[in-house]
This record gives sequence, structure tokens and C-alpha cells, in this order.
Amino acid sequence: MDAPKKPVPVVNPWAKPFWDAAKEERFIIQKCADCGKYIFYPRIACPHCFSDAVEWFPASGRATVYTYTVVESNAPSAFIADMPYVIAVVRLEEGGVQMLTNIVGCKPEDVRCDMPVEVVFEKLNDDFNLPKFRPAAK
Amino acid sequence: MSKLKGKVAIVGIGEVPTGRFPETAAIYHGMASAKMAIKDAGIDKDEIDYVMPTGALYSPAFNTELVTCRIAEELGLKNVKKNCQIFAGGSSSTCALEIAAALIYSGAASMILFVHADKLGTGVTAQGAIDLFSTAGISAEWEVPYGQHYSAVTALSTMRYMYETGCTDEHMAAVCVSNRRWAQLNPNAFFRKPLTIEEVVKSKMLSTPLRAKQSNMLFDGGAAFIVTSAERARDLVEKPVYLLGEGGVVTHFVYSQEPDVSRFGWAKAGRMAFEESGLTVADMDLAEIYDSYPIFQIIGFEELGFCRRGEGGEIFLRGDTWPGGRIPCTTNGGMLSQGHTGAGGSVAILVETVRQLMGKAGERQVPNARFAVETAVGGTYMDAQVSILGTEIP
Repeated sequence: MDAPKKPVPVVNPWAKPFWDAAKEERFIIQKCADCGKYIFYPRIACPHCFSDAVEWFPASGRATVYTYTVVESNAPSAFIADMPYVIAVVRLEEGGVQMLTNIVGCKPEDVRCDMPVEVVFEKLNDDFNLPKFRPAAK
Repeated sequence: MSKLKGKVAIVGIGEVPTGRFPETAAIYHGMASAKMAIKDAGIDKDEIDYVMPTGALYSPAFNTELVTCRIAEELGLKNVKKNCQIFAGGSSSTCALEIAAALIYSGAASMILFVHADKLGTGVTAQGAIDLFSTAGISAEWEVPYGQHYSAVTALSTMRYMYETGCTDEHMAAVCVSNRRWAQLNPNAFFRKPLTIEEVVKSKMLSTPLRAKQSNMLFDGGAAFIVTSAERARDLVEKPVYLLGEGGVVTHFVYSQEPDVSRFGWAKAGRMAFEESGLTVADMDLAEIYDSYPIFQIIGFEELGFCRRGEGGEIFLRGDTWPGGRIPCTTNGGMLSQGHTGAGGSVAILVETVRQLMGKAGERQVPNARFAVETAVGGTYMDAQVSILGTEIP
């Protein structure tokens, strides 16, 4: 059986700058110009103070693993060939912001909660780079 | 706080066995359950003036039949004013109960039939179900591209919970064993053979630390209940089951946006419900906690206040939640043992809560059960819904 193609992000127009930047290996998130809070994923208005003044901000790409799992069986069809792979929620250095990602660049069994990681871009196809995270350089 | 305490009651319940019935039309599970609930309430079918089918997932075409009044027509319900779907994923039952209560209390409806039917056990393939649940309720932009799916969601919460509390695989397995003890006494449950901790912790790894026997399985099934005013309820049945309190918290759509994946909103939702009821966790004779996987049952149990955080596993392990135990928990066996039927997973838990309070739970009846807390949650654990039910109005 041919594995189905990897699902690509279904991009919402207001999030397009994030994906455009990722294609250039730049990791940007939003920041509210009024309340100063960081925002991820991208929104049309600040989810904290409801201000329209949301601006793009170059994030450090540094994060810690909040939680993770190694997928060993029963993966979605397009990911069966990737097993074992690591799904994680990471907390970005910019406070209060979490994202789902994959941890790459190490053995799955070496991932731990609260370990420091850094962003790395993986090419999904000609249109998309997916931001993933790897153990931070010492 | 709402004005609904003690104003409405559930007067009838119906449920068909959960299982694999490839030859049975999905609609039958709903029709048969609704018919049973109408008989159980002792009402004339034409007293039903409002039908609330909840959502079915296995087929959009089947869901459309539910939306377009098929249950009302098949059962010949002649006085239905509205047939309107109430769907909040796994929270549908508890959300619908509150909406039904508000409609009854306002006078907009007088006798409401809520009904569920789905065919996820035989209407889709096993891999089809995994694929369905790698997109349903999962963000197509921020999570689907990373291989997210419900086993992984659960594993992520379990991992962080175990990291923070020191709970073990055995503690998680204990929830499965507790639920199975109840399911052994439940003729509508699919899994009824005894289960041991060892079997659970040695079963196949899905997504670390979640194993196969800590995962629910999808089946066909259906259930229904009937809601009316407290006054009418007292004329109809010996033990109306009153809605005494409700609470709810919507926390997220995208799982990564949940700031605390090992607590969610249960503590707040529980406080709201208990405050409205005027009761405390110590008054509860039953803890009918939504499972789907062991971690969510443990979190719900702890955050509602049945024990301190991190102690739940030990309580499930030593048998306090089992038949005959101090605090009977999820007495139908939950989705882990009765089986998961989509939105019906929590409908089954609500129906079981009513069944126990009415004293109709047969072999697994908890003696003299007067007050119960029941919970429901939808999507990737996107909300926390809590109801307090009882046969008396405190």
C-alpha cells in the first residue's frame, strides 16, 4: 500500500507570514503592541487584551519540552513509516507560548520533560518548511 | 449561577448494548434506545415535544438523517415542535442536559428526548478510525502536520502528569482494572472478561507511556434520556433524578494551547457545580467520571476533590473505586470497558448515573445512592463539564 502524502498545513490567511518566514528558516511569532504579551499560534486579535495591534516578532527559537510522547504504533496512515517519532508540546523562551512539534536530531528515548531544545526547519515540500525542535546545543 | 437547581429531572433512560453489529442500521441504535427511554419514563410517545439528537461521527450522511428528523418520524412522534441537534463532541450529553433544563424551566419545551446513535465499530475500519481521529478536532494548520492523533494527545497528558506526580504505569493500569470490574457486571459492556494490572502494563506500546489496553476502542451503540420538569417528574416516576448543579469550562481547541495538560479546567468546573448544588464531594455516593483513557479519569477524580493530586492512582489500585468500594467510580466500565461510541461515550456515563440513582443498575447497583457527580469532555480535552445529580433536592 502506498503511504498517503504527508498532510500539509491548511494555512489561514492571517498566519501566512509565519509560513512564509519558515520557508526562509526564520521563526516568527506575534506580539501584542498594546499589552506586550507573546502570541502563538497567530490570531487576528490579541487573545489577552483583544487589541488589533498584533505585530510579528522574531522569536529566539529556544524552548523547553513541556511534554512529549514517542509514537510507536497506531499512527495516522501518513506517519506509519516515520515510527518511532516524537510529538512534543514545547514552551518557547518567549513566555506563555506553547506549540506542538516534533523533536528531531536525537534518539526518541533521549527526550525528557523540561529539556532545552532549539528550532530547526524541516522541508516538507517545495511550499512548506515545518518548524521542529532538536536538543539545544550545549 | 443558574436557576436550574432542582427544577428539572431525568425520568427515563434507554441504552442498547455496545458492540460490533455490522448488520444493524445505525439509526436502530437510536430508535431502540429512545423507545426504551419513553417506556421507562411511562409517558405517551406524543408527549415528546422536543427531540435533541446528538452528533454521529461515522458518516456525515447518517448524521444528516439525525439532523433531519428521522428519529421523530421512525418512532411516530406526533407533537414534536423542534428537532435540533446538540453536539459538543464528548461533552454533548452534559451540555445537552443543561440546555434541555433551560428549555424546560423557561417553558419553551415540556418533554425533551435526547438521543445518540453511532456506528464507529463497524462503520469504519480500524485504520480509518485512527485517521478520522488524527483530524477530527485536531488543528489542520498547527497539529495535523506533526502526526498528532488521540493516542498521542493522551500520551502527552499522561507523560506530564506522571513526571509531575511520580505516578506509575501500575497506577494508570489500575483505572483500567477498576473500570473492568464494573463492566463485568454490565450486560451492555463489550469487554467483560477480568483484566489484571500485568496484562495492561505488558500490552503493546502505542505512544509512550500509553499502552494498547489503556486505550478505549470504538464500537456501535446508542443511548437516550428524557428530561421534564420536576413537578411532572414526580407524577411519572418513583425516583426522578434531579439536576442539582452544573459547571463547565472551555479551555482550548488546539491541544498545545492548554496551559496545563495534566489538570485542564476540572477544578473550576467542579467548584461551580458543587456550589450550585449546595453539596460537597463528601456527599457524593458515585463518581461517574469520564474516562476514554485512564489519565483523564484520574485527573477528573483528583481535580473534583475526591483525593489530592497524585493520590488517585493508589485509590484506584487499592479498590476504593471498585464494586463495593468506598467511592464507586465510572460504574458502567467507562469507554475503556463498555466501549467508546463517539459522543455516546459520555451519554453512556450520564445514563449510567441516572440508572444508579434510580436504583436500576442490577448486579452493580450501589446501595442507597442518592447523589452523584458526572463529567464529560469533548475534542482533545477541550472543556470540562460537570453535573451534580440526585434523587433529593438538598
